Amino acid sequence: MGLLVWILYGCFMCVLLFQAYSRFSGAKLTVSHIDWTWKTLTASSPELLCGESVVQEPAQILSFMRKQRFNADYELTARQGADTMAYIALLEEKLRPALLHTFWVDTENYTSLTRPWFASRSPFPLNFIVPSRLARMALSRILLTKGEAPLHRISEIEGKIYSDAKECLNLLSYRLGTANHFFGNSPTSLDAFVFGFVAPLHRASLPSSHLQSHLKQLENLTHFCDNILEVYFSSDHPCPPPLPPPAVQESMDANLQKLTQLVNKESNLIEKMDDNLRSSPQHKPHRLDPKPSLSSANSSTPA
Amino acid sequence: MIRVNERVLLCLSLTAAEPWPENATLYQPLKGEGFFSSSCSLYHLQTYLRMCGLPVQVVCRPNAEYMSPSGKIPFIHVGNQVVSELGPIVQFSKAKGHSLSDGLDDVQRAEMKAYMELVNNMLLTAELFIQWCDETTVSQITRHRYGTPYSWPLNLILAYQKQWEVRRKMNAVGWGGKTVDQVYEDVSQCCQALSQRLGTQPYFFKIPTELDALVFGHLFTILTTQLTNTELLERVRSYSNLLSFCRRIEQTYFESKDS
Repeated sequence: MGLLVWILYGCFMCVLLFQAYSRFSGAKLTVSHIDWTWKTLTASSPELLCGESVVQEPAQILSFMRKQRFNADYELTARQGADTMAYIALLEEKLRPALLHTFWVDTENYTSLTRPWFASRSPFPLNFIVPSRLARMALSRILLTKGEAPLHRISEIEGKIYSDAKECLNLLSYRLGTANHFFGNSPTSLDAFVFGFVAPLHRASLPSSHLQSHLKQLENLTHFCDNILEVYFSSDHPCPPPLPPPAVQESMDANLQKLTQLVNKESNLIEKMDDNLRSSPQHKPHRLDPKPSLSSANSSTPA
Repeated sequence: MIRVNERVLLCLSLTAAEPWPENATLYQPLKGEGFFSSSCSLYHLQTYLRMCGLPVQVVCRPNAEYMSPSGKIPFIHVGNQVVSELGPIVQFSKAKGHSLSDGLDDVQRAEMKAYMELVNNMLLTAELFIQWCDETTVSQITRHRYGTPYSWPLNLILAYQKQWEVRRKMNAVGWGGKTVDQVYEDVSQCCQALSQRLGTQPYFFKIPTELDALVFGHLFTILTTQLTNTELLERVRSYSNLLSFCRRIEQTYFESKDS
């Protein structure tokens, strides 16, 4: 059976999660990267196409795959199934806001890693829209779920979401202990979830992140990620390699830098053409980010 | 800008040595107002404090939401400190030397936190959804109850404002497109997980913990709140061990102390 996943670059942790899950359960999954369609603007998370049916949303895709008999959880008891649900909720509530913040809201990480990475994978007009749109979505998600109603300001909750996330990583580390997997000897959907959340943080080269340095101290969690990468994602495995960040990070870096420079120059030009866009108040936080590159771009392009 | 956590830590360092005063007061809005979320957290907090053996006096104020330093209810007034929200209150009582989860090891504490997040993630969101996004419930119950303490037109304005806020939140967490039936299904799944975890034990762990207080707060509220239909009630009622769990906590911590 050929399953086709359309990846909209909204959440690459979801994507890693599905790849891990499908490999654990033995489903043949063809990952098709969308980087040219206008669908990126309208659709939301990853999408699974199987024959006639279309499934969206991470949890629904997992239950769909379970119905199609690709289940990594056959050997779990009912109690372990309940534990899986609980830990997934823990990840969603405690770790996701901090991850979103690290990748999308933290200005330094966003300008030097996330934005160029996403922009380089979108065609010309979209590369200016898609990253900032996703960043806006991430910010509003954090504010709406964790913020305090009347004010909704990010600076007030940053401390709280990071301390929550660190606590969550500690708890996961306690739970994992010295084992290779969360339940028994084979990976389950919880392993896929934890991997999907933690691996990007572990392998991405972020310029600033307390969370990443905290994760580095938890050796069993980093070892858990490395182990899954090695066993299920290495190049001699029959399935194609995953998204660039983990495996081919080093070779990507040079290309990434060139692309970053190009993108920055282009965005600089566009900005000059359209000052009005920048002056509208709701765009301000996101329009600030190309600024660090202004000076370098200016020096190489005489006005 | 002092964050709530920092404020609590400040309190902790200042007052850790002082014992729990006799005149601690818990403020809550009028009974029935904002019926689900507020009564959940109220039962949760009361159960928690009673499990710790800390006396507290409950006071009803219609504007409790606006008296609280963080704008959230319930909050307690202990000595010369005002602490709001459940997390900080739990930290605060821990600093006073009252903690329920001290007897647990690290793995159990991880499990406890995970189940607490499951309840927050599923039950709390489902309650908010049913309360504010199901059109029949909103028009017949919620808007009226939420607006009761205020006069026209403030009652309508505040209710619509709250509804708008909840809907934005639902959209942000991906629940915006769900139907009520899907939400009932989620509640079922969550209850099933809790029921499997509880099994035949009296509490989730060997001793009563924060998790027991939280689960009791939510389930007891669902069991005692009248809605437009009994679907939610029936879903929870089908798990007999959860029902007897609620009954047990109610008898141990509420009936014996009230009589």
